[in-house]
Amino acid sequence: MVKFRKLWLALAAASLCTTAFLIIGFGFVLKDMLIPVFPKFDVKPVNPERGAPAAPVMEETGEIRIAALGDSLTKGTGDSTGEGYVKKVVEGLMLEKGKPVRMLNNLAINGLQADELADRLADDRGFQYVLKQANLILLTIGGNDLFNSVRASNAGRKLSAYSLKGLSNRLPEAMERFERVIAELHSINANATIIYIGLYNPFYDIEELRSGSLEVQQWNKEAYTVIQSYPNMMMIPVFDLFEWNIGNYLSSDHFHPNGQGYERIADRILESLK
Amino acid sequence: MPKIIPLIENETLKIWKKRRFFVIVLILLALIPIFTYAELKVAKNNAAKFKDWRNQVMQQITDFQNTLSSDRVPEEWKRSRRVAVQQLQYYLDHDVNPSAPNGVTFTRSFLDNAVSLFIPLLVLALGSDIVSGERTTGTIKMLLTRPVKRSKVLFSKLCALTMYVSLTVAVTVLLCYAIAGLFFGYSGWGMPVFTGFQVTGSVVDSSRAHAIPQWLYLMMQAGLTWYSAMIVALLAFMVSVLIRSTAASMMTMMAAVIAGTILSGMSSSWTSAKYLFAVNLKLTGYLDGSPPPIDGMSLPFSLTILAIWGICALVVSFGVFTKQDILN
Repeated sequence: MVKFRKLWLALAAASLCTTAFLIIGFGFVLKDMLIPVFPKFDVKPVNPERGAPAAPVMEETGEIRIAALGDSLTKGTGDSTGEGYVKKVVEGLMLEKGKPVRMLNNLAINGLQADELADRLADDRGFQYVLKQANLILLTIGGNDLFNSVRASNAGRKLSAYSLKGLSNRLPEAMERFERVIAELHSINANATIIYIGLYNPFYDIEELRSGSLEVQQWNKEAYTVIQSYPNMMMIPVFDLFEWNIGNYLSSDHFHPNGQGYERIADRILESLK
Repeated sequence: MPKIIPLIENETLKIWKKRRFFVIVLILLALIPIFTYAELKVAKNNAAKFKDWRNQVMQQITDFQNTLSSDRVPEEWKRSRRVAVQQLQYYLDHDVNPSAPNGVTFTRSFLDNAVSLFIPLLVLALGSDIVSGERTTGTIKMLLTRPVKRSKVLFSKLCALTMYVSLTVAVTVLLCYAIAGLFFGYSGWGMPVFTGFQVTGSVVDSSRAHAIPQWLYLMMQAGLTWYSAMIVALLAFMVSVLIRSTAASMMTMMAAVIAGTILSGMSSSWTSAKYLFAVNLKLTGYLDGSPPPIDGMSLPFSLTILAIWGICALVVSFGVFTKQDILN
């Protein structure tokens, strides 16, 4: 019985202590809840410069650090393997360059428009942090600015009944947004190689919509004019890849490329980076 | 109260001799290494894929935002994702890593996941047969033929149960920390954690968010875990008084707790489910600001609802046990 006596005392002591401890913890919750604490931060807000040493230029460094941003094309929507052109570029660079290649982040968001991207670049410290570290930035943007209203106004119709009305009216505004994106990018990281992938006309195979290519070309021309003034930026045209190959290279949504289409985009980028 | 301490001693030793507590410790010893291993794999994967935690958090935010744009994702998921995005953004803006892998962080996330189902089940293992067990074995007659008031007998059982609930919560925390620390290191007590987010719908108000050291956060979590475990214990206690068979009383409580977990996953359209106890068990969610299972629930609300259930359980157990005809 002495053994159990000791056990009882030990159990009683242990459980009294823990109960007291737990009740104190519970008390802290009540205190925290009832007396509103107004934040006084001992944690310093991020200084985007800190921890993110500006990455050295791609040619000079031992490591290629890639950041991708933009819309669904960079996200890889339509590719059944989920890779998109970005992963294929990463793999290709690993093979070709013989340098370590590091994919930092793919920050692409489906449906992103140029104005949203420009706002993020201006305000979002996380974006800036990632982009500062990169020395190769892959970008697609503008497709949603141009085509969203077209897709919305034609929702539910058959493809052949689509109309591209209003596409050319949207161009000037969209181009202004694009200029903002490029300017923000340049102010965040002026050294990284920035690759912009041009637009293509996903409706080229539909006779009534073939003329949309003219607007797309207009966009590509103006985008090139913006980009050309920055020596570290390059534009990769892809419209020609798709025009006669819509059936082969576009996915079933008739808007995004499929795996093969992305493969071809990646090939173009790799060729230009040689 | 001269005789109450020996009675509690007696009840405590009875539970000890049933070896339930050993089983609980063994279950914890078996489960925690499994979770630790899984967590270790995740940490290794992240370390290989991302340069540092900021890149990882950025990717997490982007991935969440991509699911938000999909029409196939149910609205409830989107709500919690939207909230998560805003909180991650807050951590990023203040340069605080929300999940630096260390022993304390692991314990914190383990408690978060254990509070609504795992810990209640452990408590049920302890408490479900506390009265009905005596009936099954027939010892209740001996217990009640002694010259002690029935309410005192029941009270001593309640005290013993409370002691074991406290010990269970404490042992869970200690074992988590001890085992996870082997892999992730024993540091992390002083790491800042944000609390005080106010979630309404899918909007996070972070004006009252503030950083507290992780030891304090863990203590608060343990306190809340204890609170919900105690409510489950009280209900199990009541069921154990009401239902004569141990197996049946255990099954009843288990069904209630599990139903609550399922309900809180899918019941945002049935709003009166928020008055059920099992939906309110995940108290720790209010600390980190994860959206409540049903709109309109808050920490004071859940604490009150649970308290009402607990008090009702106590009243019923004592009322029934002191009046009931035990001997047949």
